[in-house]
Amino acid sequence: MANRRSTFLLIWVITAVGCLYVFLKYASPKIFQMLMAKDHPMPTPSTLMMWYMIMGVLAGLVYATTSNQKFVDFLSFLLPDRGPVIKSFLRKIIFVGFPALVGWFVYTWAIPGAASPVELRIQHPTLPQDFEKLENPFRQADADVQRRCIEEGKVLFQTYCRPCHGSKADGNGPFANSFRLRPINFQDPGTIATVVDNYLFWRIKDGGPGLPAESTPWDSAMPSWKDDLKDDEIWKIIMGEYDTAGVMPRQREKLE
Amino acid sequence: MRKALNKVLISFVFVGICGGTFWKHDEVLAQSSNLFRTYKRDVPQKLAKTPESVSEGKKVYEKRCWYCHGIEGKGDGPASVTMFPKPRNFTRNEYKVRSTAFGSLPTDEDLFRIITSGIEGTAMPFWNTISETERWQVLYYVSTFNDQFKYDQPAKVVAVGSVPSTPESIKRGQELFREMKCFECHGEDARGNGPLTVALQTEWDMPYRARDLTKGWSFKGGNTIEDIYRTVSTGFNETPMGSYLEKLSDEDRWHVAHYVKSLAKDMASDVVVKVKLFEGEQLPMEPLDEHWSMATAIEIPLAGQILVSPRLWTPYIDAIMVRALYNNDEIAFLLEWDDSTNRQEEIFRDAVSLQFPNKIPESLKKPYFAMGDSSSSVNLWSWKAHWREGFGAVMEASETDPGVVSELNAKGFKNITVQPPESQNVTGKGIYQNGRWKIVLKRALNTEDVKGDIQFEVGKLIPVAFAIWDGSNNDVGGQKSVSSWYYVSLEKPVPKTVYAYVLVAIIMGASVEMWFIARLRRFPPELEEK
Repeated sequence: MANRRSTFLLIWVITAVGCLYVFLKYASPKIFQMLMAKDHPMPTPSTLMMWYMIMGVLAGLVYATTSNQKFVDFLSFLLPDRGPVIKSFLRKIIFVGFPALVGWFVYTWAIPGAASPVELRIQHPTLPQDFEKLENPFRQADADVQRRCIEEGKVLFQTYCRPCHGSKADGNGPFANSFRLRPINFQDPGTIATVVDNYLFWRIKDGGPGLPAESTPWDSAMPSWKDDLKDDEIWKIIMGEYDTAGVMPRQREKLE
Repeated sequence: MRKALNKVLISFVFVGICGGTFWKHDEVLAQSSNLFRTYKRDVPQKLAKTPESVSEGKKVYEKRCWYCHGIEGKGDGPASVTMFPKPRNFTRNEYKVRSTAFGSLPTDEDLFRIITSGIEGTAMPFWNTISETERWQVLYYVSTFNDQFKYDQPAKVVAVGSVPSTPESIKRGQELFREMKCFECHGEDARGNGPLTVALQTEWDMPYRARDLTKGWSFKGGNTIEDIYRTVSTGFNETPMGSYLEKLSDEDRWHVAHYVKSLAKDMASDVVVKVKLFEGEQLPMEPLDEHWSMATAIEIPLAGQILVSPRLWTPYIDAIMVRALYNNDEIAFLLEWDDSTNRQEEIFRDAVSLQFPNKIPESLKKPYFAMGDSSSSVNLWSWKAHWREGFGAVMEASETDPGVVSELNAKGFKNITVQPPESQNVTGKGIYQNGRWKIVLKRALNTEDVKGDIQFEVGKLIPVAFAIWDGSNNDVGGQKSVSSWYYVSLEKPVPKTVYAYVLVAIIMGASVEMWFIARLRRFPPELEEK
């Protein structure tokens, strides 16, 4: 048994590399989808895939050379013998398959590929100076007034922000699909929870057109609300927005 | 025997290579297939309905729900002004997605499912983000708005089995679709354009819109065969969508469901409109030209224009299908969208517009996606349905509508100029058939107006954006459905040299292999001990 198996060593190595490819290509996206609880598969990045495949081939070769016996078996497979028909069949597949594989690599490399768009942007550009010193006028108000402001802000949020940012402030409003730069998910701890509330005031007041060039203002569907909403209303929206998303604004550091 | 085996082998490998290549292309084309929610069906163990759970539910409702559904549950919350469809009015039994007979109340499980998954195409989000307990509590509170929940006997659930689809079943379903007059609302081609829907929408101004059954993603309550069967069986309360529980046998309802399922398509969304080189003499100019099937179509979701006042919170057109072909001189686009009616008024006209930057951007920088900005201008190709003077206020555009084509430039919403007559180079043609507009817009790849017109180049990514106006939805000016920037790319044809490279590579690969094997035969590997 051991003897018979080792004479097919080359085939086992090729099969193992093939399995690795199938695993990376088809199984791993599904597994990561399950592990990370995403609703879409997570395809393996192509460079990572290339490196895994190179490692896989090397590992196969290392295994084949662990002993002289193995190495001899590994190479002898390519020599004609009086072995079973299946052996000469597999040998033929290898003989035809190798040049075909080389041809396929060259083909995929040589056909003109469609350029894929590069859209790099900085999500949180620096807050402009004019907005740094602003204070939420309702911050010092008593609890009752604050509660009322939050409630009024939530109504405004649900009216004007909801179509894109969603009723839950999770960036899943009915219009969200239409904007390739998706509306921000405010529940994500990496968004409004990491900035002070003046930052939101700036973003709501000036919107996409107010962004610096490194944040691709031309792609942002955030309206500039300065002509339509009063400053007080914007502050209320901010309070309502944090409440809806269930996060707190970042507190300003006190300078000694 | 041997030769035969060899042939089988070679053809096997060849098929493998071809398959591999096509499969790779598919992979490039398929993108962003997860734009829309999947409805979840599982319902966990029910929470006991107690006065405490109802009062807890009130807290949840007044924290999360009342903004749309209203503090008294009448569907008139302050946020409902920017919504269509309007939020559910809980004081009436107008529940749509139910497992119970037409006119009956939904079961608690039905309500739980809708709270968990929400409804696609509406403002109702999926609330699987709050705890199951909270969901049960809030639905108990919601059911206090309508006394029927207190007095009515619990309704019987319509069982949904599962019957596999067959071509015969789909065909029978299609016949039933006619016999049961489904088309009167849903339209001949099931695009939600039946005469009753159009009458309700335009003359009666009623909020009922028959579903466009070709848009699988927009089915209320889900688009699985079981969901469709349930809707056909139980109908939607307080809408023209009745129940076919009595009118059709169980088997026939499955046939109809299978037929509807066969119409429902996914949105073929992508980021790049890939434009193929057209080999024929003339680019197709007719919207119905069969050559368009050569071009790859992509679908792009649209939203209301909400960037500047006046905004459009309730757009009717929610997607556009785009394809294009080019030859050495010209490029032609075919733009298609579903619209239940081509009725319009003088100022409210059906129209579409393509937007390009004035020139292909050299860096990342593009003009502002909504009509450009003061620093960079955009080039617009606009097609507008023809308008004839008439006595009535509402007119129907003719079926084969040449339309009014114009080329414009814009540097922001307030700075739009129509190009002078000598620089109007775009030609167009439109047709409205069975609930769908199809418009062709064509222009030379390069024009003399280098400053105002986009000049197309092969192999470059050229930004493009879309806008559609629906006259019957009173869209005009800034009130339109819009997209953000997408791309157009004129594909380079595969040069013949590629095949030469491949041939050389195969020969070299084979030579190396033969040399290796020859060497191996000459010096067979042996164990050193020997």
